[in-house]
Amino acid sequence: MTLPRTAWVALTIARKDALAELRGKHATTSTLFFAAVVLLLFGFALGPDTRRLQEAAPGLLWLAIVFAGLLAVGRLHLIETDDGALEQLALYPIDRRAIYAGKAVSGLAAMLILGIVLLGVVAILYGIDLAGAWPALVLTLGLGCIGFAAVGTFYAGVTVRMRAREVMLPLLMLPVIAPLLLAAVKATAAALGGDPFGELAAWLQLLAGYDIIMIIAAAATYGFLLEE
Amino acid sequence: MPQTTIYVAPRLSGAPDNSLPAVSTLELARLFGRSAALAGVSLRVETGRIVGLLGANGAGKTTLLRILATAIRPSFGSAQVDGLDVARDGDVVRSRIAYLSHANGLYDDLTAAENLRFAARLLDVPSPEVEPRIRAALADVGLRLAADQRVSGFSAGMRKRLALGRLLLSPHSVVLLDEPHAALDEEGMRLVDELIGRWREAGITVVVASHAIDRLAPLLDGSVRLDAGLIAAIEGDGVSHNTAPNPFVTPVTLGAAR
Amino acid sequence: MKTRVLGIIGLLAVIAAAIFGLFVVPPDANQGDAQRIMYVHVASAWLAYLSFGVTALAGLLYLWKRDLRFDAVALAGAEVGVMFTAFAIWGGMMWGKPVWGTFWQWEDPRLTTTALLLALYVGYLLLRHLTDDPMRRATRAAIVGIVAAIDIPIVHFSVIWWRGLHQTATFADPTKILHPSAPGLFVLALMGMLTAFTLVWGYLMIRRYQLARIAWQIEEHGRLGRITAARRAAVERAAPPPPSAAPGVVDGRVEEAGS
Repeated sequence: MTLPRTAWVALTIARKDALAELRGKHATTSTLFFAAVVLLLFGFALGPDTRRLQEAAPGLLWLAIVFAGLLAVGRLHLIETDDGALEQLALYPIDRRAIYAGKAVSGLAAMLILGIVLLGVVAILYGIDLAGAWPALVLTLGLGCIGFAAVGTFYAGVTVRMRAREVMLPLLMLPVIAPLLLAAVKATAAALGGDPFGELAAWLQLLAGYDIIMIIAAAATYGFLLEE
Repeated sequence: MPQTTIYVAPRLSGAPDNSLPAVSTLELARLFGRSAALAGVSLRVETGRIVGLLGANGAGKTTLLRILATAIRPSFGSAQVDGLDVARDGDVVRSRIAYLSHANGLYDDLTAAENLRFAARLLDVPSPEVEPRIRAALADVGLRLAADQRVSGFSAGMRKRLALGRLLLSPHSVVLLDEPHAALDEEGMRLVDELIGRWREAGITVVVASHAIDRLAPLLDGSVRLDAGLIAAIEGDGVSHNTAPNPFVTPVTLGAAR
Repeated sequence: MKTRVLGIIGLLAVIAAAIFGLFVVPPDANQGDAQRIMYVHVASAWLAYLSFGVTALAGLLYLWKRDLRFDAVALAGAEVGVMFTAFAIWGGMMWGKPVWGTFWQWEDPRLTTTALLLALYVGYLLLRHLTDDPMRRATRAAIVGIVAAIDIPIVHFSVIWWRGLHQTATFADPTKILHPSAPGLFVLALMGMLTAFTLVWGYLMIRRYQLARIAWQIEEHGRLGRITAARRAAVERAAPPPPSAAPGVVDGRVEEAGS
């Protein structure tokens, strides 16, 4: 199968997910509210000292994105198992990497929405001034969400037909995304603080490198899951 | 009732007509955890024939169809569709078979037409043909009026019809049907019978697993009865025990366990 | 038998290296006796990485050859690796307490990396445990093992940056604060322990692999037994008591294979 066709099939799958999401479950909305409540609870746990919250804000933001993202990528695979759709998907004469890519793209869309809204929530709740940090923040969010969607889609595929998948998805995935979390938090902190040590570029490079390596590894191995 | 065209996958180059069996298995076995769903089935189905797969629940009918459809790998033995090994040439096999499984593989939040449109795109139906084929397929399975309704509101029978409609979108050479009559009303069952007849006319091989033997019998060339993962009986034409030595596999030796 | 000899040699080597490291090498100028933990700590960490490398490689080979023996190697690597990882963390903490004053030192990239490593492979073992079908288990484990191994260097790299990029590190690289009184003897003791541990590792790997194969054979024997039983039952149904009766509609080769 040619590359354009693979890409087109992937987009078809992603578009189907988006359509189902807009139509039906509005699951992203509920995931968003869940993450917002988590951010509120962080405030209770660390507040009421606003300065302490502001210092911890990059870490709290990314923890909220990680928790919400786990739910989002897990659910995107679950909708494929309702009526045996994942098996059906595996039986089309298509490149199996396209199935991975399609689910990863819809995962990325969900993650980007989550990331942008949660950034706003953090700014409001913890009183953080985002002005001036926009380009760096957008880049960080984008790279972080790409990596999360790439890894999350892979592990969602591993666990979707497993017993205890609700536990196994985070258990398998969280150690793997540790470098992503670390780099994203550092980059966010650097962006918000005006990058006094000039380390922002290094963290963004680490994020980009992580994304590329993980996308290749996951895309190359995901297909084996479908021929059990 | 309107009649869509039945699309037939072209013969593989180098394969002279009908000399190659549409389906052949050798010592095919599949184990799930502690039980043997298939315990060594060697079967040969001739091209263009309609063959029934009979047997009680748990006899191995679904497992056999799933292996032929490349949904699962065999534990032992081999299986070929149009001369292509299901484990090795899965990609090509998938482009030649149509498989109706127990699960319909539909998306609840999409309409009937959207479900078929999604399938048509993944089946690589040429874009100008997509809409006409969807309309024709929906009309064929009696869902023309429900085209723009969401599948979540469909009854089990309507879902089955829609899944059948998906089989009509693209060319195939082998059709595998797992309990096509299940959940369907009288009209729906007639529809299945009619489709099988049309596949026969088009020269497509059909392997159909069913409990509705009386209903199916007049449509069949031959039948295989499975029992506990083994062939219990073979009747009629078009299907036989496969005794052809297969150079690609070593059959399992089962003498040791006594 | 050969495996047992390897085990005995490994055990003796560990005892010899321990005696050498504990009594022959003089204490470290800075850290005193605490530095002696380094011998087992470094050896454990090295073997943990080696084990996980073996697991990833065996996973690749399984996906290529579809031979369940590679899956047994992967399992051996992961289990032995988890054991050495836990040992390395324990050693690191025991060393950190007298030297740094805390069991857990976030500034140390090695300790943090190793903790993540433990989490990665405990997850891997649980995944195996939760999948019943041997082929499915082998496939899932193989790809998760490969992706985990790819992740290890990134984790290590990122944690080093994490410590290095913001200049608040109060502790330098642990190897640079070692001041062995007799450098030659220290290196000799370290190398000796490394060799001894590697011998024990080899023994454990072989034994774990053999155990996995035996377990698999028992399982497999049961499977083939079930197939045979199914075939025999079919033959008996078709041709009741007198065993010499014609097989009738039953596939003739069934009887042949079952006898």
